[in-house]
Amino acid sequence: MSQPNLLTPPAHISPQSALHLSQKAPLILSKPPTSSLPWPLSLLSSSESPETWTTYENLFYTCLQTGDDASARQILSFFSNRFSETNERVIVLRGLYEELQARNKVELEAVLKKYNQLISEDPTRFLVRKRKVAVLKSLEEMEEAIGECVRLVEESPTDVEGWAELGELYKSQNLFPQAIYCLEEVLLSCPNSWGAHATLATLHHLSSSSAPTPSIPSLTLSLRHFCRSIELNDSYLRGFYGLKVLSSELIPLLQNYNPSSRRNQHNDEEDVAPPKLETVKKLEELATGKLGEIVRRYGAGDNGWTGYEESEIAAARKLLDKEGKVVR
Amino acid sequence: MAQPVVQTIHRDPALFWWILLPITVVMILTGILRHYAMTLLQTAPKKQTLAQLRQQRSLVRGITLRTNANVLSPSSFQSRKAYMVQAYQEGKFLADPEARGKPRPNPMSDPAAMEGMMGMMKGNFAMMVPQTLIMGWINAFFSGFVIMKLPFPLTPQFKSMLQSGVGTRDLDVRWVSSLSWYFLTLFGLQPVYNFILGSNNSANQVTQQMAQMNPGAGMMGPEQDPDKLFLNEAENLEVMEHRWILDGVEDRLLAKYGL
Repeated sequence: MSQPNLLTPPAHISPQSALHLSQKAPLILSKPPTSSLPWPLSLLSSSESPETWTTYENLFYTCLQTGDDASARQILSFFSNRFSETNERVIVLRGLYEELQARNKVELEAVLKKYNQLISEDPTRFLVRKRKVAVLKSLEEMEEAIGECVRLVEESPTDVEGWAELGELYKSQNLFPQAIYCLEEVLLSCPNSWGAHATLATLHHLSSSSAPTPSIPSLTLSLRHFCRSIELNDSYLRGFYGLKVLSSELIPLLQNYNPSSRRNQHNDEEDVAPPKLETVKKLEELATGKLGEIVRRYGAGDNGWTGYEESEIAAARKLLDKEGKVVR
Repeated sequence: MAQPVVQTIHRDPALFWWILLPITVVMILTGILRHYAMTLLQTAPKKQTLAQLRQQRSLVRGITLRTNANVLSPSSFQSRKAYMVQAYQEGKFLADPEARGKPRPNPMSDPAAMEGMMGMMKGNFAMMVPQTLIMGWINAFFSGFVIMKLPFPLTPQFKSMLQSGVGTRDLDVRWVSSLSWYFLTLFGLQPVYNFILGSNNSANQVTQQMAQMNPGAGMMGPEQDPDKLFLNEAENLEVMEHRWILDGVEDRLLAKYGL
């Protein structure tokens, strides 16, 4: 994995790399992006490029993450000077800053009130509406957050972020069928995202384990989505992990599974035929082997195998250790 | 071996400095000026209302459902299809449910369409005025000059292209007149503008015409009846054949790893 930089930061920034990135702030902020000269001359001396503002935006996020409020404020003033205070993205950045400055519930509610006003001025400000959902979520008003998010995807049904967030909210309330629906909507927009496949698989698995008896169709769906995520990315640790968990759960269930009695109970909606027992056994074997390989080669620091997250490797190691297989 | 007689015309070297170079420089400068004028004249695209956004995005949702349906299991696809088809047929997502079934209004009376036409007019205007001026300028000052000789031979068909404004029949095609040089620069300066102004400049005619094809118009322009689009999409959804990509994924995966 390449070193994190400010133009293409990873989706999830670890605290260390955020600190590393935000320490670049004084150097970057030392020269302002826009020229101070009057208009026609400023065209000549400006060093602005399309990347400039991406860099600033990402720097802003890392500064907020590391608590460098002074730099964040300075970047914010650059943004509002350049793109005007009424630009939607500037509003959102400012809102983000204010949210983080809010020390207690009352202050956060003040931010929320501001968002409400902005939304009632122009209901097509989808970015602000997303922030509102986030604020409601941090105020732990889950029902309102879900309601707002439902309205958002109702009015903008191609919004992948909105669907993913709604799925997340439903999941936190243990409403798995709804969450599954949302994730399917995400999958429709990005059909080749292995992450979305794995998340959907996790939801199917959770919905099965929250039911009183494990449901074979849900587990089968989950298994299949994990398989698909591995098919799309053959070094996907989470996919192999899920495959291993799922197949070891399915094997005992399938051993005393009677297709004929089952069919009578569930002849209405279940169209998912459970996999064959041998197939699942082979899949478990595959997952175990692959997980072992990943853990071993990560531990050895082999070239091209070190991009995994430390915590994910630890979880995989624990899973393998539980079976008594020593991987070193 | 009779070599054709090479025509030689003794040209004043001042022709280069006082005609060829000024025309070129003026052409480049007008292009740059036009670019900035267009940037100033451009009106910001009109903001769509919430209902219009919803209408457009709901249609897109149907299209993505149709194109990516193979990630869904048969049962969830069927339920989605049933919902979408019904909603489309009822016109649930229409921005203006009242206008359903009525013929589209005349585009001339529609203010949104008028605005688009105004934009086009402005673009054409910024094209026409400088060109008329420069051509008049060249005609007035430099007409009838032969200003350079191309380093390669050409067929006589190019005569009218390269020697407009010089009425001699026997002059070799390789000689270029000043008016023709103006036309050559007019059509051939695009790479120069790309170099100076970046690739999506509006300095030239050709790009200008491309830009006039409004990007929003393709999806759901004012000419198209959204209700028709929805009904069309409902029909597409109804007839589509569903294949689940997760069918047999376990066996595919095992085959991939050779187990």
